[in-house]
Amino acid sequence: MAIKFGGEFEVPRKPEEVYDFLTDPEKFGPLLPDFQGMTMQDDKHFTVKVNVGISYIKGTAEVKMELAQAERPQRAQYKGQGSVAGGNVSLVAGFDLAPTAAGTKVAWQGEAQIFGKLASVAGGLLEPLGKKNLQKLIGGLQAALQ
Amino acid sequence: MSTEPENGSWVGKGLPRKEDGRLLRGRGKFIDDIKLHNMLYLKFVRSPYAHAKLLGVDISAAEAVPGVVCTLTGAEIAAQTQPFIEIGPDPFRQIKDYPLAVTKVVYQGEPVAAIVAASPHIADDAAELVQVEYEGLDAVVDAEEALTDKVLLHDVAGTNQVWRGVFEYGDIEKAFAEAAHVVHIDKMHFHRFSSTPLENNAVIGQWDPKDEQIYYWCNNSFPSFAIQFIAAHLGIRIDRIRVQTFDIGGSFGIKITTYPQMAVCALASKKAGGRPVKWIETRSEHNVSSAHGNERTFRDTRVALDKNGVITAIDSRHIDDCGAYPRYEPLGCVIWAQVFPGVYRFKNARIDFRQAVTNKCPVGPNRGYSRMQHLWFLERVIDICAHQLKIPADEMRLRNYIRPEEFPYVTPNGCVYDSGNYPKMMEVAKERIGWDAWKKKQAAARAEGKWIGIGFGTTLDSGTNNFGQSQIVNPYAPFSGNSQGANCKLDIYGEVVVAVGSCPQGQGHETTAAQVVADVLNIHPDMVTVRTGFDTERNVHTGASGTYASQFAVSGLSAVHGAAQKLKAEMRRLGAFLLTTTEDNLEFGVGQQGPEIRRKDNGESANYWRLANVVNVNSAVLPAELYELTLNCRYVWRAPFKVPDKDKKYGSLTLTYASQLHMAVVEVDRETFIPRILDYVAVDDCGKVINPPIVEGQVYGATAHGIGASLMESCVYDSVGNMLTSTFSDYTPITAVNMPRVKYAHIETPSPHSYSGAKGMGEGGAAPIHTISAALQDALFAEGVFIDDSFNNPDSLYRAIVKKEICQTAKLVKAEKGK
Repeated sequence: MAIKFGGEFEVPRKPEEVYDFLTDPEKFGPLLPDFQGMTMQDDKHFTVKVNVGISYIKGTAEVKMELAQAERPQRAQYKGQGSVAGGNVSLVAGFDLAPTAAGTKVAWQGEAQIFGKLASVAGGLLEPLGKKNLQKLIGGLQAALQ
Repeated sequence: MSTEPENGSWVGKGLPRKEDGRLLRGRGKFIDDIKLHNMLYLKFVRSPYAHAKLLGVDISAAEAVPGVVCTLTGAEIAAQTQPFIEIGPDPFRQIKDYPLAVTKVVYQGEPVAAIVAASPHIADDAAELVQVEYEGLDAVVDAEEALTDKVLLHDVAGTNQVWRGVFEYGDIEKAFAEAAHVVHIDKMHFHRFSSTPLENNAVIGQWDPKDEQIYYWCNNSFPSFAIQFIAAHLGIRIDRIRVQTFDIGGSFGIKITTYPQMAVCALASKKAGGRPVKWIETRSEHNVSSAHGNERTFRDTRVALDKNGVITAIDSRHIDDCGAYPRYEPLGCVIWAQVFPGVYRFKNARIDFRQAVTNKCPVGPNRGYSRMQHLWFLERVIDICAHQLKIPADEMRLRNYIRPEEFPYVTPNGCVYDSGNYPKMMEVAKERIGWDAWKKKQAAARAEGKWIGIGFGTTLDSGTNNFGQSQIVNPYAPFSGNSQGANCKLDIYGEVVVAVGSCPQGQGHETTAAQVVADVLNIHPDMVTVRTGFDTERNVHTGASGTYASQFAVSGLSAVHGAAQKLKAEMRRLGAFLLTTTEDNLEFGVGQQGPEIRRKDNGESANYWRLANVVNVNSAVLPAELYELTLNCRYVWRAPFKVPDKDKKYGSLTLTYASQLHMAVVEVDRETFIPRILDYVAVDDCGKVINPPIVEGQVYGATAHGIGASLMESCVYDSVGNMLTSTFSDYTPITAVNMPRVKYAHIETPSPHSYSGAKGMGEGGAAPIHTISAALQDALFAEGVFIDDSFNNPDSLYRAIVKKEICQTAKLVKAEKGK
């Protein structure tokens, strides 16, 4: 099951500041919805733990993340792969930054692919849940960058 | 014992089933009822991915769990076994099919490891600790896309095409050149669904180090096939494998392909020091990874018709999706040809048949295996042409049916339809449903704007197949013909005991076999003990033994009949000696001391105890010329087949052809688009009926299966190979609540190929799927909708009627006038 997402927002910060925030896992990670904790492997690799739950299917997802692209101050992209509730998830999330008169426009896009029991038994719920959580993440980003 | 035979025969009488007392009181013996000393429990770790490289399987955490006895991985199995035999030719003969994935997974739910523990709960918990590292690959879930080979499942094959063959008969081009009408149908699709037996797959396997023999207690429904695969895989002699089956809670064909799980249980037992290992499949495992029915797409169909609407030729491309591993395939690539023209008379046809692997659960021979897809295609062709030519659907069928006087009928590909009377079945169906009244009601309802359709489905249930057809898909396949064994004996105290090589799953073999023997010996069926279930050590089976392909009434009961006749002949010789008379002065019956053989002239008799006693216990009284008598008679019945012509794809592929005609009245709600069955008739012709309630029960079962498949049950996959209908909440199997009241009727056209005139039955040709598709088309044709898919739920009907995204006649069907 593939869920695609994307959008854009503006923040009153310079692109360099936004970029530094986005590429700092220790700042970015805690904004993930239901964040439980993270472990840094190096400055580009880390593992986050988030709570995941749909109805009776509940568990902790452990997602190995990699900062796959880092072009200061235009673009950052994360790739991740992890296991959750008898399934696996792989995701790609990118941020393109462009200066504006008021600060920086952040265009974000990505795709999550979900495999296994979670997709099989709760596939219909995943997309709205994913969108809701993305809104939380983007809302958190915007708030942090105000 | 108060009942009496009907017209002097127990065959044909509606006796209550002997097995019902046991089964209805909860006294059946199923695999999970068996508890063995020191038994262990196996849990599979399954892939969440439909297609991924297997980079590593870390079982250390699972092995550390107290109570875990051992584990198995694919690499470990590959190091000590051979890949399973492939039935098909190169290049798919080269693929490596192991019971656990070794280097890559090719469908969601494919096992990657096995955990063996002291309890099922420990095995479950430990399985969750197995760490598997995958590298996801693009998946292909559509057979036509798979045939582009952009994504390969089995690299060694170099293609996803499992098999291709063109079945061409008659003169196609001439028929099209001379046609009065030509109808083109762009695409049709038969969906993927499965069976939902009450009892899932189950195995206990023990590799006993004491005698180096493997013991299986399982519910596989074709064990003689399974052990041929297992023996070659494990590298052991087949006589070292003992398989026993007991009561089986339904199979419908999909329990044929459990040999991979059986192999794992044996290997796990070996690793655990010979302790028995039990695996009981969960419902979710069954839905995702046991076996599904074949999915098929029909492309670029052209139909030639004369000015009266009689079909003269069909030309089409068929693409079959067999899932991730062929396993029982590519037999399905030829089995459909058993019913090549369906119930119709056309002589010219070309079917270009291809089969592909996809990243979905492997298929198995699901009820109506391979033939129902083709019969559905033909029924759609009939209805679509009828609507295009404005010929009523019943009239269209009557113009095209094979006529009763044409039997035995030789089809264009050399199959011989033994008997049938399709117009008579239609007549009976119309009478039972109240045809004239429904036509009036339909007209009135349509005037009110309601969508009501009446549909027919005429199908065939070909039974007792010729395994020689496997040589059409692989000329080197070492199979042909068909056979079944049975043993009939007088036990030491004179009990009549019958053993058969079948493994019944609800078909009432215990009862029908007793009826046959009772007729031969002129005794009551309750005086006959039938050993049900398969057991290699009874030594009655042949390589074709099992329960599948609608054949027991023909092959199984013919074997029983033959064994009983042999026993009777021995008893007669012995009786003549004991009663000092000639054999023709003897008759069989029941006397004051039970079953006996007696002189006709003076009534002097010898009961069965005396006969058995002389042969088994008191043998010094026997003269030497009677030493050969054993009263323990094995008989092997063989079907009178020849090996088909492999190049021409011509020959007799099946022995008997039961037929079904179903009729349904269906209304589609204009607000909710929910299709509702208003009336339903099922007419069956399986020749001489051995036991009417058993036949009727199987017709109801097959009808429920087909209605469920048509309206409720579908194996849906997303684009990356997740199965989205893995639970009953999503798969929504049909229940009694969803069933309409089915009006049952039957006619009898006896088969000349079985001793009783019976034809194999029970699969029903998936007649409801064809019937409901036809009824929906009849209801919706005026809306510009034709039914091009076998699965129709409210969502798909909404997309067709309102959104006009699918099933659009104007876009997808074209009729041209010819000469």
